Amino acid sequence: MSSQHTQDVPPLTETIAPGTATDPDVTSTETETITVDGTEVTVAAGSTLLDAVEAVDTDDQVAALCHYGREDIGPRSTCRTCMVDTDAHGLVPACSTPAEDGLVVDTDTETATEARDVNLDLVLSNHNLRCTTCGKNGRCELQDAAIDNGVEEPRYGVFDDRGAYEPIDDSSSFIQIDRNKCILCNRCVEACNDVQVEGVLRVEGTGADTRIGFQSGVETMEESTCVSCGHCATVCPTGSLVETDIADAATIQLPGFTQKNSIGKTYESSTTSKGPMTPKKGEERTEREQSTETERARESTVDEREGWP
Amino acid sequence: MPPNNITDHRVVVRVPSDSDDVRTAASEGDANVVAVGRTGIPDLEPLVTVTIEGRTALYPNCPPDQAADIATDITDGTLDEGAAVIEHDPDAASFPAAAVRGLDLGTRRVLGGCGWRRPASAADHEAEGGFVDVSPNDVLDAAETLRGRGWGDWRHDDRVADDWRRLRDDEHTAAVVVNAHAAVDGLLLESAPLEVLEGAQLAAQVVGAEKVVVYVSEDDERAVTRTRKAADAYPDPVAPVDVVTGPSAYRAAEPTMVLEAIEGNHRLEARLRPPGSSAPTLHETPALVHTARTLAQLAVAVRTGTPPTRLVTVSGDVESPATVELPESDRLADALAAVTLVDGFKAACVGGRFGGLTPSLDVAADPDALADADLGTEGTVEVLGETRCVLEFVGKRTQFAAETNCGRCVPCREGSTQLTELLRDVYDGDYDAEGIEELTRVMDASSVCEFGVVAGRPARTTLDAFDAEVAAHADGRCPTGTCFDAPEVTH
Ligand code: SF4
Ligand code: SF4
Ligand code: FES
Repeated sequence: MSSQHTQDVPPLTETIAPGTATDPDVTSTETETITVDGTEVTVAAGSTLLDAVEAVDTDDQVAALCHYGREDIGPRSTCRTCMVDTDAHGLVPACSTPAEDGLVVDTDTETATEARDVNLDLVLSNHNLRCTTCGKNGRCELQDAAIDNGVEEPRYGVFDDRGAYEPIDDSSSFIQIDRNKCILCNRCVEACNDVQVEGVLRVEGTGADTRIGFQSGVETMEESTCVSCGHCATVCPTGSLVETDIADAATIQLPGFTQKNSIGKTYESSTTSKGPMTPKKGEERTEREQSTETERARESTVDEREGWP
Repeated sequence: MPPNNITDHRVVVRVPSDSDDVRTAASEGDANVVAVGRTGIPDLEPLVTVTIEGRTALYPNCPPDQAADIATDITDGTLDEGAAVIEHDPDAASFPAAAVRGLDLGTRRVLGGCGWRRPASAADHEAEGGFVDVSPNDVLDAAETLRGRGWGDWRHDDRVADDWRRLRDDEHTAAVVVNAHAAVDGLLLESAPLEVLEGAQLAAQVVGAEKVVVYVSEDDERAVTRTRKAADAYPDPVAPVDVVTGPSAYRAAEPTMVLEAIEGNHRLEARLRPPGSSAPTLHETPALVHTARTLAQLAVAVRTGTPPTRLVTVSGDVESPATVELPESDRLADALAAVTLVDGFKAACVGGRFGGLTPSLDVAADPDALADADLGTEGTVEVLGETRCVLEFVGKRTQFAAETNCGRCVPCREGSTQLTELLRDVYDGDYDAEGIEELTRVMDASSVCEFGVVAGRPARTTLDAFDAEVAAHADGRCPTGTCFDAPEVTH
């Protein structure tokens, strides 16, 4: 098999570098029957526990925020707001655990509820929760999850430090990016790379600096190789990626207070009219580089680091 | 005539291969000089030893001129009785127990070759009984009680043999990946690479792997060259050996990130690992990922049938760190005899960068005992001296987690950031012990990989063991006087 492999012409997708890991298949191979909160559910081959959980009226809310479940997007399984208790494996993320015959699933044990609630609050802790000026107000999956789960005062507060906001990228005449609302669910990256096979978007950075960026290494949507298909905005659960003409559509109009000036800095388009041309693809930075000085400094000075407390 | 192996010659002078000066100086005479790797006790380096017929004289911290004298003097064939001399089996191919600090502790099996055998000498490894000819079933028998060593092992703390059996029946296994990213694994590769490679070859034989891929940090050049040399010297390997480097970042030791790095991904993040999943894949084919420590244990177990041991590295507030090998029943406290404390002993962070903090090392090196004590099994004991503030330590450690995680999952990425904030809040009088416990519980229970699973352990264990010291900070007082600016002196 390997000898065959080397002779193959590399498929087009090999030049796509989304910055994400190659996950194993996390679905069942056969039809399985499992019990969710006392109800037996049979799910088809290719199912996860979440498919079974969604098929019953569960005892407790399972937000499953980052789950999309269509077009082969996901499961990315990053938000961990779908944690459920199982008899065989303890606490597991429902969206990325294969359905397994005979498994008994509980949604409302103390540990499962705690994990989902804490993780939802953690998502909110890094989200600019100015819903009133957001284009997705009323159609936002994060907002829905917070309401459904009765979140009133998130444990860790919400992201509300103007100085730390990332500038809104309003450079493209078609799609606006507000990373302060991004929950890093990765749907857009998969829509762009796996569904549209455009190879524009990627995940970049680590830790608190993890963000959605461009494979060509540029800073703005306008400079990117985006073909304006809009798929990323369609799948985005929040107000992070929106089509420009609706960016302000659902906002409550307060005089002088719009989504953009609620943040501060904005990247505007550099030209007044943008032609149909998009920059050439192909200069993707896909090679792993040696660790940078900053990375090294961050790694090596564990105990000498300044700024504590 | 170059010696065939280190036991063939009447007189052997061992010099450290890392110290060019000492080696050159010693090689000026006619003595039979061999270059060996590090012992794991840097305090003794450069260490020169002279062996004559079952007796070895040790010269710790040996400068080049002394090394030259030693090598010249030895030509008369008698040992200098002024040095520390140990008696041993004339055929000893492993470092014998010596009455020198650090070398007098525990046992030296996995570390046996370190500082005694030439790293890339197949003859030396053979003299120790290496390159055994055994069947896959014998290997599986010997591996029956073997558990994965370190967080870089896909089967950290779990039995390895079950996967091997499953993969043995599988049609195809791509590779045995040797994860040597951690410092102690680098030590093994530098000083006893053949031990590690033999373990990898034995595992490859069981699962029918196509190749062995040794993964080291890009900063560990010595490990790369020694491993390449040792692989070249390996007689009839069942699988060819590749050496691949990955980023030096701490997270790059996580087993699935190791695979991502080997596959050439430019950005490293963990892969999902659903419960019960057997082997991860390398280029879409199942692969084993074990640390160098695990595989060296396998080689020793197959050869000698002796029970497993634990490598323990003591560092922190000590004059010089030390790596020793202990039987699993020995207490971690025993390892302290290998070091000099510089600030007394207040606590230790046990079991990795995100180990547990404890005021007592009266716990066995056995993984179950360590887990019961909520300590880590990484084999590290990081000493915190009497004047160290535990809150400062744990705050910085948590901040490190927040800055260096891969960014994939919320409980680790956002959790470690919020945990850092909760620890910081203590300084403002807001000590929310319940909130900290809740958060570390969720990070532990729902993170994608072990980084996040253990990132909250330093904080959690500190609250358990040093509650009063943390609480004092909420009252504006740091018991060790580390954290608050000194009050202004008024006259
Ligand atoms: S921009 Fe939207 S779709 Fe993309 S990762 Fe962020 S929240 Fe998800
Ligand atoms: S636990 Fe941390 S390091 Fe592991 S996948 Fe999650 S964010 Fe990445
Ligand atoms: S829905 Fe399962 S982790 Fe987000």
